[in-house]
Amino acid sequence: MNQRITIPIGPQHPSLKEPGCFTITLEGEKVVSAVVGVGYNHRGLEKACEARTYIQDMYLIERVCGICSHTHSTAFCQAVEALAGVEISRRAAYIRVIMAELERLHSHLLWLGVAGHEIGFDTLLMYSWRDREKVLDALALLGGNRVNYGINTIGGVRRDISPSECEQLRSMLDFIEEEDKYFIDLALHESTLAARLGGIGRLSYEDALRLGAVGPVARASGVPTDIRVIEKYAAYDEFPMEVITDEHSDVFGRAVVRVKEIMESIKLIRFALDNLPDGELKVNVPRRIPEGEVLSRTEAPRGEDIHYVRSNGTDKPDRVRVRAASEANWHSVAHMLEGDYLADVPIIIAAIDPCYSCTDRAIVLDHRDTGCQQVLDWEALRRYSVDFYRERGFDAKSIKIPERKIIR
Amino acid sequence: MGAEERVVARILERFPVLEGRVFIQKQQRVVVDYLVRRDFEKVLDFLAHDAGFTTFHLVIGVDNGDALGFIYVLSNEENVMLLLKEKAPKSKPYISSVCDIFPNALWHERELVDLFGAVVENLPPGPRYPLPDLWPAGNYPMRKEWNPAYLDKKTMTYNPPAAVDPAEGGESK
Repeated sequence: MNQRITIPIGPQHPSLKEPGCFTITLEGEKVVSAVVGVGYNHRGLEKACEARTYIQDMYLIERVCGICSHTHSTAFCQAVEALAGVEISRRAAYIRVIMAELERLHSHLLWLGVAGHEIGFDTLLMYSWRDREKVLDALALLGGNRVNYGINTIGGVRRDISPSECEQLRSMLDFIEEEDKYFIDLALHESTLAARLGGIGRLSYEDALRLGAVGPVARASGVPTDIRVIEKYAAYDEFPMEVITDEHSDVFGRAVVRVKEIMESIKLIRFALDNLPDGELKVNVPRRIPEGEVLSRTEAPRGEDIHYVRSNGTDKPDRVRVRAASEANWHSVAHMLEGDYLADVPIIIAAIDPCYSCTDRAIVLDHRDTGCQQVLDWEALRRYSVDFYRERGFDAKSIKIPERKIIR
Repeated sequence: MGAEERVVARILERFPVLEGRVFIQKQQRVVVDYLVRRDFEKVLDFLAHDAGFTTFHLVIGVDNGDALGFIYVLSNEENVMLLLKEKAPKSKPYISSVCDIFPNALWHERELVDLFGAVVENLPPGPRYPLPDLWPAGNYPMRKEWNPAYLDKKTMTYNPPAAVDPAEGGESK
């Protein structure tokens, strides 16, 4: 008879940059049961929102998640705008869509790199994170920051997109499109990737519905759920959209859905740039919001994001409830892990794309001798990094990248 | 007849007593006003098993003064979101777990226990969520009367100021 062993993995998980505790019971090397423990990162954000005004809450809500910051602030803004009875301009709605899809591009490319790293395919990590830098540069161009873009405000958006910025976005999209063709080819035809990801972390169509899976996890199990289509929020009612689904119901399917969604997001951004309407960026919203309650939904890169806001006639909300996409998908993880090998645990957990943050782009240098501070912007930081390695005999420009091949 | 009207009609057909308490909030949103525990369980059972509300999204705990409110958000295949509300007095906040119908409600209900002090009967055993193990007992941070300023984070004790006797004018000497 096989002896059962229980292993606690975490709270500092080796594969995730966020604390989570997974108590895994093994029989040999097979997982027989898994208990997911989270809550280490609970920051009391909902209580903090009640003590602050709606505008101040925007800053908190943007920081629910580093990667999905725009989708959270969109959901919150939509709720407050509905309570105040205001409608934003079409231009503002289009800009919200552009940012949301750029955020999705960033998130999916980031995930692809993490997934590659988890399975020992670090070349994929290098390629996709190099491409992700282009998207982050585009987000910084429009929002002034790589994460927490600060585009949304209650009543519209804070920044416009100029024609020259549109052109820069288009050239970035051309680059990402070519790269994504390679990633799709890789996901669909590379035999080692299929052998590693196929058949692990299975979640059937029925279980996806029963356990309330959302986003790419649900779509990879054949559930055609996408809040952009269901709710048609922001300007999505005017966009031709295809919901990407897959029937594999495993980690492989989740990878396929995400690389195909990158292509779909590129199409949506191009459509938005081609049809960007004129109009005001922001309409005025009263500071005091009339009494009421609203449930607002958006499609985050990881799935359905729900915000509930109840107002009491003052300038502060009475209750704010945030249900992020990962919160819904954790329920499926324990089920996915059962029956798989211990070695598959990191990639199965990573396959739901749990949240973790990105670092800021500016650093502050303290000169010990003079005591003065110097803030480096992104370009200066990049130059500093290149020079640092060049002085040590490592010149990145001298490296020749070999032609990429796919083992079919 | 739209999807929302059909939902309202279906609920009122089964529970005529809810006339005036089920309403369409906006497109894709239907609200069933606050029900006491016994009525709530009957309506939830009907919605989940006979009316096609098979997807559970979340529970929202709210503090309504003397009572706690629990808003269960469900949806059906036509993507109508239903906000089904239950209430319980703050002094006796007893509710039943819905995990037997919706297994993904588990953590949401644990959150109600930790943050609102709800007593959820038949909740499956497991670790608490989301507060830490050394959190002071009897402190429910999402209740309106709980003030984060009075929590001593070093000793993890909650020290509200002593109640002031109105007869003494409320001024310290």
